Amino acid sequence: MVVPNALSDRNLSFPTGLITGIVLAIPGYFIGVWTGNLFGLFDDQNTGVILGYAFAVIGFLVGLGFLNYPLARLLGWPVTAVPQTVEERTWGRYFSLSLDHKVIGMQYLVTILIMLLFGAIGAMLIRTSLLVPDASITPPGQYIMLIGLHSVMMIFITSAVILGPFGNYLVPLMIGARRMAFPRLEALSFWVVPPAAVILAAAVFWGGFPTGWTGYPPLSEQAGQGMDSYIVGFVLIAIALVTSGINMLATIIAMRAPGMTWTRLPMFVWGIFATAILGLLAAPVLATALVQLAMDRTTNTTFFVAANGGSNYLWENLFWFFGHPEVYIFILPAFGIIMELVPHFARKPLWGYRTGVVGLFGVTLLSWFVWQHHLFMSGIAPVLRPFYMLSTELISIPTGIIFLVTLGTMWRARIWFSVPMLFCMGFLFNFLIGGISGVYLSDVPTDVTLHGSYFSMAHFHYTIVGGEIFAMMAACYYWLPKMTGKMLSPLIGRIHFWWMFIAFNSTFFPLFLLGILDMPRRVSVYAANLQFLNDWVTVSAYLLFGSMLLFAGNLVYSLFFVPGIAVANPWHARSLEWQVPTPVPAGNFDRVPLIVGGPYDYGLPNAKPVADFGGLVGATGGS
Amino acid sequence: MAHRIDARDAVILTEAELDHRVVSVGAWLWLAADTFFFAAWWFSFFYLRALNNDQAWRPQGVGPPSLGFGLVVLALVVLMAGTYWVMSRALYGSFSFSLLAPVSLVFGIAACLFQGFGMWHLGFGLTQGGYASVFAGLTGAWLIQLLGAVAWLATVVVQGRPSGDTVVRPHSAATFGWILVFLAAVGVINYLLLYLVK
Amino acid sequence: MSLRIEPADRPHAIRLLVMWVILSIIGIIAVLQIHYPPYDQTIQGEDQSKTLALLTAMATPVFIGVVMMVIYSAIYFRRATAELVDGPPMLGNTPVQVAWIGISAIAVLFLAFVGVTTLASDNVAKLVNAPGRSINTGGQTGSATAAEQGKELQVQVVAQQWYFTYRYADYGGVETTHLYLPLDRPVELHVTSLDIIHSFWAYEIGVKADANPGVDNVFHVTPQKTGSFTVRCAELCGLWHGQMSDTEGKVVSQSDFDTWIAQQQQDYAVIQKAVPSYAPFYFPEPTVKGS
Repeated sequence: MVVPNALSDRNLSFPTGLITGIVLAIPGYFIGVWTGNLFGLFDDQNTGVILGYAFAVIGFLVGLGFLNYPLARLLGWPVTAVPQTVEERTWGRYFSLSLDHKVIGMQYLVTILIMLLFGAIGAMLIRTSLLVPDASITPPGQYIMLIGLHSVMMIFITSAVILGPFGNYLVPLMIGARRMAFPRLEALSFWVVPPAAVILAAAVFWGGFPTGWTGYPPLSEQAGQGMDSYIVGFVLIAIALVTSGINMLATIIAMRAPGMTWTRLPMFVWGIFATAILGLLAAPVLATALVQLAMDRTTNTTFFVAANGGSNYLWENLFWFFGHPEVYIFILPAFGIIMELVPHFARKPLWGYRTGVVGLFGVTLLSWFVWQHHLFMSGIAPVLRPFYMLSTELISIPTGIIFLVTLGTMWRARIWFSVPMLFCMGFLFNFLIGGISGVYLSDVPTDVTLHGSYFSMAHFHYTIVGGEIFAMMAACYYWLPKMTGKMLSPLIGRIHFWWMFIAFNSTFFPLFLLGILDMPRRVSVYAANLQFLNDWVTVSAYLLFGSMLLFAGNLVYSLFFVPGIAVANPWHARSLEWQVPTPVPAGNFDRVPLIVGGPYDYGLPNAKPVADFGGLVGATGGS
Repeated sequence: MAHRIDARDAVILTEAELDHRVVSVGAWLWLAADTFFFAAWWFSFFYLRALNNDQAWRPQGVGPPSLGFGLVVLALVVLMAGTYWVMSRALYGSFSFSLLAPVSLVFGIAACLFQGFGMWHLGFGLTQGGYASVFAGLTGAWLIQLLGAVAWLATVVVQGRPSGDTVVRPHSAATFGWILVFLAAVGVINYLLLYLVK
Repeated sequence: MSLRIEPADRPHAIRLLVMWVILSIIGIIAVLQIHYPPYDQTIQGEDQSKTLALLTAMATPVFIGVVMMVIYSAIYFRRATAELVDGPPMLGNTPVQVAWIGISAIAVLFLAFVGVTTLASDNVAKLVNAPGRSINTGGQTGSATAAEQGKELQVQVVAQQWYFTYRYADYGGVETTHLYLPLDRPVELHVTSLDIIHSFWAYEIGVKADANPGVDNVFHVTPQKTGSFTVRCAELCGLWHGQMSDTEGKVVSQSDFDTWIAQQQQDYAVIQKAVPSYAPFYFPEPTVKGS
């Protein structure tokens, strides 16, 4: 049934879209500021700034059309919960409220890559400043602003870099569904991300914020208006995590095609499932902490003020109760990608499918019980430290399972070392180092030296950049042929991999040494004898950035300058997303497929094809 | 690898059945997230109370506003949730349905108004210690969610006419009742903590 | 439970095992030659160094094993032909998986055990906010008599934006700008802050403790060698966080310490009268927001 682009049966009389959104955001901001100043609270304008950002976001979302459905309901107009429209395949739908999960995936991809560029530029500026041991290149105020912006921008990015583009695009395809469970929520989870990035960048106009991504009070209460960008931006990301969590989980639970049993689910989907659980449940705790910080900064409540009944430990506990699952939100999709890609390129079944799933859920479960390892030196009751040391050490066991399953899949295989597979191997190397360094940090006696030092920086950059970003690169090279219809150049891809891998290790391995040699985090000055190491790191960082530019170049070249459409299944993979044509049709599948085989049934005699596409008429996955 | 298809997984659902399942799952997921949200506030309550830094958890003169008033708000919310619950069990389009749905809405609006009034007349300042801060934040967050729920409830009532969404998709409207019950339950717990715990 | 190694697996397994054992032995010997910070200026620091050495020694075979498997796979398990051929359909091997998980569990539990025992021996458990020992207001020079030996020296570290000061409870609460510690005497550090969160990190003596306003964070250390140490702030505290350091911490002999502290009491006698009396923590005027 084809109906002109409409979100309800009656249209509101003004056009909605990105332009309208931006147009409404601007007066929204000023109304917010005016409202905030009306209250006349003794708070240096923070209420105005926070309300200004909030109203701007509301104006933006209204302009995009998010209010149309609730408003239509309120006015008594006939509404459909999930519109059965087929959107016209124009460029315009990428700049509007699209309910097609594939469009949302592409919107996410482009937005995240742009944000990544800005975050990386911030990193280059930081490393440039560290070329000299004093603060002559970048004065302390600017330096601290750069650290805050780089780190928080990267946190926003890495929360969504795999879940957003690839989760949204691929999950319905991989489970045999024709749409997501809640398309509007899915669109919302995307459309709060550009405002979050813009609001964060706006902190520059206030001189940034001085706390880094951890936002510890009382420093965050002492800070100027730039801190409000952090608060509002992070709240938006929390909203994105909750809405995408609800959407992903409901889709995977309720909309699998017939025959897609839990034991036939691709590992990538399991990874997204585990991630969504963490995002759904951890982000609300962050929201609470951010609201409390906002209240302290505006209405002068005393949640975090020890002199007046509050405690800075309240923030630390709430933040890290979210913060630790957050870092597993970063890495679980990456685990899913590695365990997904390796069987297809090794042409062997995944070695220990159930073990792999147990590994993912072991990590998910344990991640709730370890957060106080961020607080070992903070002055928590000493009797708590052995428990958290143990729980943190234990989490390395399910993490090791990921390696077990992957290495077992490669055992006696016939591996095709394509570019995505190279990035998977890079992941294994990098995450091995990242994970082992985590064990060092989890041990309280060694943590005395390593906490808050460059060792800790090296650990999380190895796991997040070396782990998640390498997995993201693997995902790009693997799935972009399906998502865009173009193969990325394998030759440039190989150069990109080796360049990035060597530059990455050259950049971040010396940071372990710097941490062991008494260099704290987030400093713009350091002991003179550490200059050689710092300069080595900076030059390597420039090279790493260069490899990212090469990747961007590969994208542009392959997408726009190479003619021809990619074949439907260039990797000859068994999983369901490769069984549909490229470009993917509007409803994904003409008919709901009946799943009769597993996605990793390589080499098995009498293996059935993964799905039977004829003959089923029904609604599972949408009609 | 031979798989036996689970009977449930082989079933092909109609659009209505799928919608039914998706809405149920989505509602429970939302409630799980919201539970963690309020649990974070309850944790803040107990944590700051236990630490009592600088003896400033609850300085002299800071105490809950009128217990009776809080009870009125609570009663209104419980009534709102209760009437909606009963209504959602009734036949759509029946007399009890058309009576109870707006009644539920009226209770909800009244609850919001009363709670808003209460927040404006707390009897203590927000700068007066940990208890004051938690009271304002927890009650304020709950009130905001209540406002959102009442707004959605209004749309359910409006869509209750013959071909409206509430009648066409009764399961979705019924599932919303869980959210109202949840907010009422949170209200009960908040009352116990903020008004009754010393 | 047999290990079910198929004939085709055997040559690979043997090759890998032999290489792994040889490389691991070499690796472990190599990493044990390194001197790990925080070296041995204090008892706690020495324990921390040993733990760091143990971790590195255990990490070496793990690292070598996985990297070796990846490189080996790239050489021996590579696709031989241009066409895509499926590999052998191996779905899992329960004994191998159990062995891997079991060994990693044992290794991790062993590390946790070592960590806990080291922690317990180095830090007497005390609740945060426990009252400090009463002040010895009669603290005189030369108070390190035989009776005083063995009692912990109470030193308070006061952090603020953007420097550390130190108060010696046993010496009238005198506040100094550098930290001197006497040799062979257990020290109980009480770390607190006047404004926001800082972290007191004394590298060579193996001490790190966050400084929180309104909190008395206790850390125990016993110097066993004279020498100097550097103090840095390890928690982002605003503009001059990077400059919040002091390279003049010293561990000195008891007699040198007595001389020094007497000199401090003399130098700061006038200021001492204006400074608030020694307490576990202080609440100065509320923090004023910057703009």
